Amino acid sequence: MYAYDTFDQTIVRERTSAFRDQVQRRLKGELTEEQFRPLRLMNGLYLQLHAYMLRIAVPYGTLSVKQLRKLAEIARKYDRGYGHFTTRQNIQFNWIKLEQMPDILAELAEVEMHGIQTSGNCIRNVTADHFAGVAPDELDDPRVVSEIIRQWSTFHPEFSFLPRKFKFAVTGAENDRAAVQWHDIGIQLVKGDGGEVGYRIYVGGGMGRTPVIASLIRPFLPKDQLLSYLEAIMRTYNRYGRRDNIYKARIKILVRDLGPEEFTRQVEEEWAEIRKTDVNLPAEEEERIRRFFSPPTYETISAPVADYEKAKSENAAFARWSETNVHPHKIPGYAAVTLSLKPIGGIPGDATAEQMEGVADLAEQFSFGEVRVTHIQNLILADVKQADLFTLWQKLSDIGFATANIGLVSDIIACPGLDYCSLANARSIPISQRISERFEDLDRQYDVGPLQIKISGCINACGHHHAGHIGILGVDRNGQELYQVTLGGAGDETASVGKLIGPGFTADEVIDVVENVVNTYLGLRAPKETFLATYRRVGVEPFKENVYAGR
Amino acid sequence: MPVVDRNGPIEDSWTTLADDAPAVKGARAIVSLERLKNEHNSLFADASEVGVEIMGDVDLEQLKPFLPQLDVVVVRFDGMKDGRPFSIGRLLRERYDYENDLRAAGQFIPDQALFLLRCGFTTFDVDENFSIDTLKRAVAAYSVWYQRASDRTATILDKRHNGGAAPTNGNNAS
Amino acid sequence: MAKTKEQLPKILTANDLLTGATVYYTSAGTWSSHAADALVANSPEAIDSLTKAAADAFAANLVIDQAIVDIDAGGEIRPARLREMIRATGPTVRLDLNKSISPIK
Repeated sequence: MYAYDTFDQTIVRERTSAFRDQVQRRLKGELTEEQFRPLRLMNGLYLQLHAYMLRIAVPYGTLSVKQLRKLAEIARKYDRGYGHFTTRQNIQFNWIKLEQMPDILAELAEVEMHGIQTSGNCIRNVTADHFAGVAPDELDDPRVVSEIIRQWSTFHPEFSFLPRKFKFAVTGAENDRAAVQWHDIGIQLVKGDGGEVGYRIYVGGGMGRTPVIASLIRPFLPKDQLLSYLEAIMRTYNRYGRRDNIYKARIKILVRDLGPEEFTRQVEEEWAEIRKTDVNLPAEEEERIRRFFSPPTYETISAPVADYEKAKSENAAFARWSETNVHPHKIPGYAAVTLSLKPIGGIPGDATAEQMEGVADLAEQFSFGEVRVTHIQNLILADVKQADLFTLWQKLSDIGFATANIGLVSDIIACPGLDYCSLANARSIPISQRISERFEDLDRQYDVGPLQIKISGCINACGHHHAGHIGILGVDRNGQELYQVTLGGAGDETASVGKLIGPGFTADEVIDVVENVVNTYLGLRAPKETFLATYRRVGVEPFKENVYAGR
Repeated sequence: MPVVDRNGPIEDSWTTLADDAPAVKGARAIVSLERLKNEHNSLFADASEVGVEIMGDVDLEQLKPFLPQLDVVVVRFDGMKDGRPFSIGRLLRERYDYENDLRAAGQFIPDQALFLLRCGFTTFDVDENFSIDTLKRAVAAYSVWYQRASDRTATILDKRHNGGAAPTNGNNAS
Repeated sequence: MAKTKEQLPKILTANDLLTGATVYYTSAGTWSSHAADALVANSPEAIDSLTKAAADAFAANLVIDQAIVDIDAGGEIRPARLREMIRATGPTVRLDLNKSISPIK
């Protein structure tokens, strides 16, 4: 993974000092709260219901064991012993004190971490495929361009006060595991006519009040033109994005209002000028960054691996876990493993300090010292020898991260919701817990098959409910929590916006509604047909009918 | 209102004229773009120096014909979250080759000064409460940066690959 | 007859600037992390006085996000709105967490 040089370190160190100074000025009243708020947001510090929440950047979801151990230490020393992994591959701590922030940032800087630009109207963490570097279907490792964008966007003097937040995602494969079409800018690595790798550029996807799939504005961009093209997009947005209404301020609104053709025309007109300057990345810098993502020294192993096959045949629980939580790897004899942070009835994405340390030890022992965070709020050990999988599984079971439910109905995304978040209208975590418990039988989950449930506690959609096969949105009606259900959303390359099925439900009712929807699917599906495929074949009506029968 | 540059207060005898205020012969006058378009002949004839004040939504093509004769362009922030002046500054320097005083006005804060300087601004029109010491500290707080902008300084990329030398050509304004 | 929103008793809550903790304004003019300690305003004059206390504390850089919120009519101090209830008790999914933090003063 990328390692800071002295310049990267200086950036973070200087930022830490500057923020220390800003905190002092705030406490003395030299900065008003109105002036201080954007500054603290740009360091990832939110005020939530119970305390300050700190969002720490995990660039494209990649963590070293040293970093993970430091996060565990921060959880213990400065927080309440746990952290929460988010839908943007970051980590959040919920109980932070402003007065300790400068010290926390200094400790994070020791391990090349920070909260820079994880909030505020600036370019946020770049997310990428959590199987980057190991996926067999990958054209190229998306983390290289993600790191390029990370550096280019950090403290960019022109683009630090945008109309609104700005989110990038990158996929290196056709199968889009990074949901790029749901982002402000989505980048897919593709092959050009001459066989060279370049970028397909999507702009204007987004969740929230107005969910929309991005428009394809550039089918192929040569690699060496990336930064000049991105500057053209950002400048067009910075100048013409709306600033009068925060609900209409994302780039998706500008793309919609101009129309994709006119938006593209304006971008390309600006790009024609910018590309004459020297803003593009020199080839030697891309090569320098790429070297950090060279593959580790794999052993030469011939598949199938006898020990692994034997263990599966002898242990049904292990076999089941291998089906759901173990994924193909480009190197024979290796596998990528998802650590499920969705124990039945648990809080999605939460990990205690002890669990983080446990995972760090396992990563060191089994996966070249690296961990990934997924946008589905799970963790990944990406380079595990198949021969080690059984031992790993046993140790993960001890930690509590071995639930065999990846991609299944209890692998739920839930935002923190009204239990933590000052923006929320309803709680989301208890809904997730109860759905998980309703479906606790893993055999049943396995029979239902791939089903992504995503829950948001408010219209800001941090739970990505619009992209859920079943999406649940919590709202407030006359002081009561109410839950609306959408169906048929998707976050992969077949991206679609979930469709609202009708009036909302109470917390008790919505659990039954989910079960009803699942049963409707089971009654309609063709052999081996997934939930999403069935929904797309039969439409929303059969589900609506069953859910609202007798209401 | 005091005017400062990155080193501290500067002498400043510009006056900003409302659209209906009479021009004063021999004075240094800042006017709106509308007034500049309508009265540029008399303004350039009468005033010793002419400047313009614009907002972030300006159509720079309308300003373009006058730029060679303007001695200050004031870009006013509509609140500290208004990020458009940064783009306007860069375009004026790098696209329109404007070389004279580029001044930020409005509710920006000292912590934005370094970005303004990197986007081509040279002076700051501030109010009495604005801390110039804080501006100087904020500007000095960062010694390295990743991106090429309107300033001519070496970026981190130059330090990594160019022996620390800033570019000698390229389309960035001096 | 049920009380209208205007008639409900009110308390003043905010978040401590330094710690971010949820705090409540007390009759002693201090800020406590326990809703039970909150000064209850039952009249327009009392509410005005809370409004002033809120502005003063914000201006003194003690608190942020200050708000005057309804509590249920009746003896015990119980915030009327779920959001305020959760601020008083802590996350409903982590009742094991002891949310109390020592008061500012």
